[in-house]
Amino acid sequence: MDDGDGVGAPVIGDKPAIERVATRPAEETHRSSAEWIRKNLFPNPFNSFLTVAFGIFVLVSARGLLNFVFSEERGWDAVRTNLRLIFTHAYPEEQYVRVWVCVGVVVALACLSLGLFASGGEGLRLRKISNALNATAAAIALGVVLREPSVLIGADGETVRDADGVVRQSFAEAMADRWAWWLAAAVLAVVALAVRRVPKRSDGSPAAVPTLDFAIGAMALPVLSTWVYPWGHYAFADGEFIAEPGRTVAMSTKVPWTVMWVLAVASLIVGRWVSAQVDERALSRLRAVVAFAWLVVPFVLYWVVLRDPDLDWDRIFTVDAPLALAFGIGGGAVLWWLTADGRGELGRIGAIALLGFAAFHWVAAFMGWYPMLQKVRISFLLLAVMALLAHNFSGEAAKRRRLVLAWLVITTVFHYFATVMNTPSTVETPTEALIGGFAVTLVVAVFTLMLSFPLGVVLALARTSRLPIFRVMSTAYIEVVRGVPLITILIFFVVILPLFLPANMEISLFASATLGYTLFSAAYLAENVRGGLQSIRRGQYEASDAVGLSTVQRTVFIVLPQSLRASIPPLVGQVIATFKETSLLAIIGVFDILRMANSVIPAQTQFLGIKREGLLFVSLVYWVFSYMLSKQSQRLERRLGVGER
Amino acid sequence: MSNEGAAGDVVSLSTLGTRPPFYRDATVVKWLSQVVGLILVLLGLFFLASQAQNNLEARDIATGYDFLGTALGSDLGSGIDTDPDTSGRALWVGMVNTIRLAIAGIALATILGVLVGVGRLSRNWIVSRTSSVFVETLRNIPLLVQIILIFVVIASLPRVETDQGPIHGWLHISNTGVSIPRVTIGDGFYQWIIFVIVGAALGWQVMRRQERRHDLTGQQTYPWLSFTGVVAVFAAVGWFAHPVMGWMGAIFDAIASGVDALTPGVVQLVISLTAVGAAAQWIRRFLASHRTPAGLTRLIDDDYFRIIFAGIAAVLVILFVTLGWPGLSSWVINSGRDLFEVIADKFGDGRTGAPIAAYRPDIEQLGNFPNYGPAGLNLIQALAAVYFGVVLYTAAFIAEVVRGGILAVPKGQSEAAQALGLRRTTMLRRVILPQAFRVILPPLGNQYLNLTKNTSLAIAIGYSDVVQVGQTVYNQTGKTLEVVSIWMLFYLACSLTISVVVNFFNVRMRIVER
Repeated sequence: MDDGDGVGAPVIGDKPAIERVATRPAEETHRSSAEWIRKNLFPNPFNSFLTVAFGIFVLVSARGLLNFVFSEERGWDAVRTNLRLIFTHAYPEEQYVRVWVCVGVVVALACLSLGLFASGGEGLRLRKISNALNATAAAIALGVVLREPSVLIGADGETVRDADGVVRQSFAEAMADRWAWWLAAAVLAVVALAVRRVPKRSDGSPAAVPTLDFAIGAMALPVLSTWVYPWGHYAFADGEFIAEPGRTVAMSTKVPWTVMWVLAVASLIVGRWVSAQVDERALSRLRAVVAFAWLVVPFVLYWVVLRDPDLDWDRIFTVDAPLALAFGIGGGAVLWWLTADGRGELGRIGAIALLGFAAFHWVAAFMGWYPMLQKVRISFLLLAVMALLAHNFSGEAAKRRRLVLAWLVITTVFHYFATVMNTPSTVETPTEALIGGFAVTLVVAVFTLMLSFPLGVVLALARTSRLPIFRVMSTAYIEVVRGVPLITILIFFVVILPLFLPANMEISLFASATLGYTLFSAAYLAENVRGGLQSIRRGQYEASDAVGLSTVQRTVFIVLPQSLRASIPPLVGQVIATFKETSLLAIIGVFDILRMANSVIPAQTQFLGIKREGLLFVSLVYWVFSYMLSKQSQRLERRLGVGER
Repeated sequence: MSNEGAAGDVVSLSTLGTRPPFYRDATVVKWLSQVVGLILVLLGLFFLASQAQNNLEARDIATGYDFLGTALGSDLGSGIDTDPDTSGRALWVGMVNTIRLAIAGIALATILGVLVGVGRLSRNWIVSRTSSVFVETLRNIPLLVQIILIFVVIASLPRVETDQGPIHGWLHISNTGVSIPRVTIGDGFYQWIIFVIVGAALGWQVMRRQERRHDLTGQQTYPWLSFTGVVAVFAAVGWFAHPVMGWMGAIFDAIASGVDALTPGVVQLVISLTAVGAAAQWIRRFLASHRTPAGLTRLIDDDYFRIIFAGIAAVLVILFVTLGWPGLSSWVINSGRDLFEVIADKFGDGRTGAPIAAYRPDIEQLGNFPNYGPAGLNLIQALAAVYFGVVLYTAAFIAEVVRGGILAVPKGQSEAAQALGLRRTTMLRRVILPQAFRVILPPLGNQYLNLTKNTSLAIAIGYSDVVQVGQTVYNQTGKTLEVVSIWMLFYLACSLTISVVVNFFNVRMRIVER
């Protein structure tokens, strides 16, 4: 504690730090810059020393980074050429449009949801934009000055060398040589000035643009530049390395990106138009549909679009479709019968009997008594679960219809995916996995989160339940998993899981890794959800008991909605953590983005041993995604007002 | 759940007053569902275990921990013993590497994290911005990417050269890694530390007395300064006088022979009695906490479950030491004797050198290329990458924890302190930081746990920590299941240790409430 004395006192300044953050400087506009510098950089001798020391440190680091990034020796071609490899690994060229369809669906759905969900808000103040532009211009100017002069290139295209090594330009030559950067900085500064001059609105509030419109509008710049600016064309065509610096990027890059941008704008407009047209009730239904679409889309994109199942229609018409139909109609009838008026105890006994019947098939499967399609077993189990919940829906015809409808949707979705997943793919890739690179990172992260969330909630409920055996089991599981590193769990699932499976059952690396991640992540999610569960006041339980809710009803309708809302910030933190942890896939042999940069690209003959550039790029990709997620979570937290009510 | 809970279930009016059917009786449902759940889980585990057994038999792989005693065919990259005789020894070396990495990492990450966290709250614009960039950059990039990047960057540094510029002899950075001056315990360290311990005990008493005097008279009595002074005096005297402590060795020798004289039966008895005593003590306290002035409150079945569980745990411990692993007691005796003999040896006569030794890193040329000599503290490439990777990454998180802790102290506290006329430093030391520390400690412990677990990423760049050594071992012996179990036990033990330590401080720091 005492070491805080030396550190804390001078750094925190003449007022406690708490005060500084608690009262945001709303009126810092009218201070002169000299006063600002004196107050914030040189208030006393110690802080002046700190300012100078940190200033030198920052300048030296920035210079080092710039010299590294812009050095003539850098092999950025390795990254430029392999962008496709980094993001999707070896997905076949002729079917690449499938990847773009996936991106398009996600972009469209995202913009549609933004149009439907986003509330107006304050928007981005022009003043802020102007400040950001100015800062960028200043950073560019500083970077131009800081970077060491480029090496001289002789007439023969080789770098000029003398006895001391490479010969560099003089400082003046270097500054003149970088005229394009100066121009960019100047343009930015002028734009910043122009933006600042935009007058206030008529009601006196500062001029602002909607954040979303601004972001998508700004996206137009890079997208359009692909058609105009010679970014260069780098690719591997039939194993041949092509480098054409002087032309625009390939058609196969600029067309899809332009389509994506148009798609984004179009779906945003559609979303807004629809939300303006329909009334409140229809809007909330529409939002529910979109939310449901988000749940289904990852499965559709991975198993249907990317994987392109080679459907066997004969089998579908003779086996799969009749089976689905039978379960849909038969199960619907059973549920309809169970929920009929006056069924009473018989309904429960029927549900329990159904559960026993479903469980029996699983025991039989483990013992190997008789063969049966796995689909059928799972269907029976699903039906039993629905039947157990049925008494909540008994009585009115509308409620019963809803239950049967839910069953039909569940049956359709389940049978569809079960059929698709069991069909071989038409996509041929050199590795066992369908897709690699950054895509596999995203796929594993998304599936992990979708699967581990329900598991985590169940574990959290078990851990806080009053049933001791469940509580002990859940606690033991959570603590053991949280006590060991992820890599040991992944190795366990990749190396040892095949030992535990029946001899005829095989599991792919991708599936076992996702399973490992899911079980790992579920323990952490459970702890986050438990925090939310513990924040529920006792009165909520007592009130729900008082109105006669059953335990299931109380949990689903009273406890979980409140506790999940309370645990959103840690849950988003867990999402970011899971996303970052997918980098461990590289260790267990999945061709993910890190493995691309660390092993695949450095093994190419053109780019032998070039690792640092690729790794820096990978860091950048991860950083952009995590940073965006964490910023969004902070916004969400503020909007939900968690901890403020 | 008591009977009141059962009334919460939907019961139609006609059945009120009559007993519900057995399958809707709350107690029956409660216990039946749990027992069925337990049986299902056990069945699942049994199924997996039987599959594993079948598969192992089919592949002709024997299970068991015998491989720990067999020779390992390869060397380790670094550690206390780079050429271990057996697999068990190799795993031990890996564990020591992990523990060393974790402790050193925790130390540096804490210092760096506190500095950056306080720096983020600084009013100095450039300091707070630099700290923000540090945090936001490092915590949004996966640790594994950072470790590999550092590894690759170190690999691209120049080679070791015999002359390396202005700070030559103090710090070497090259593609081999980093070499810094090394401070180690010397010949007479153990004798000397006795002096320091005695000094600390005495200094503690002096400090308490000074504090009391301050409380009584209000005079400035400098309690911490007195403590430091007393310890410093004892340390200084001990530096020259430590050989007189040589006789301590005889005491430890006596203890060692005393331990050796124990029979396994005695150890088993002691462990069993301890287990029974602990269980009894726990039950007694549990019952005491449920006792009200009116007598013992009614225990719900959940409480009975706990009591029974405590008893079962004690029985399990007894069964384990007597039947499960009878060799445990002789292992305890042997290692206890060895431990005390080693300590006795440290105090042995003839150890008159300085208590602490320091060396500057050197560079020697044995083969074609110069390399770091043994004098300095050499962080080889892989070690340096893991170490700086986990330190920087964890420091970013610790910084956020520290910042959050300081911000969590209510503004009124600092205002009250100012109103009392406390000086700024006093206010920070006496008002803000103690309260912030209370908030900081639990998440800080979490970060320490994370750091320890994250050292396992060393496997990606081949530093021989326990995971990497374990992988080598199971690649050679095929004993994956056993190695994974050792990993899990090791990391669980580490986690448990850290949580116990953190919890100890946490309880001590807690505000005493009514």
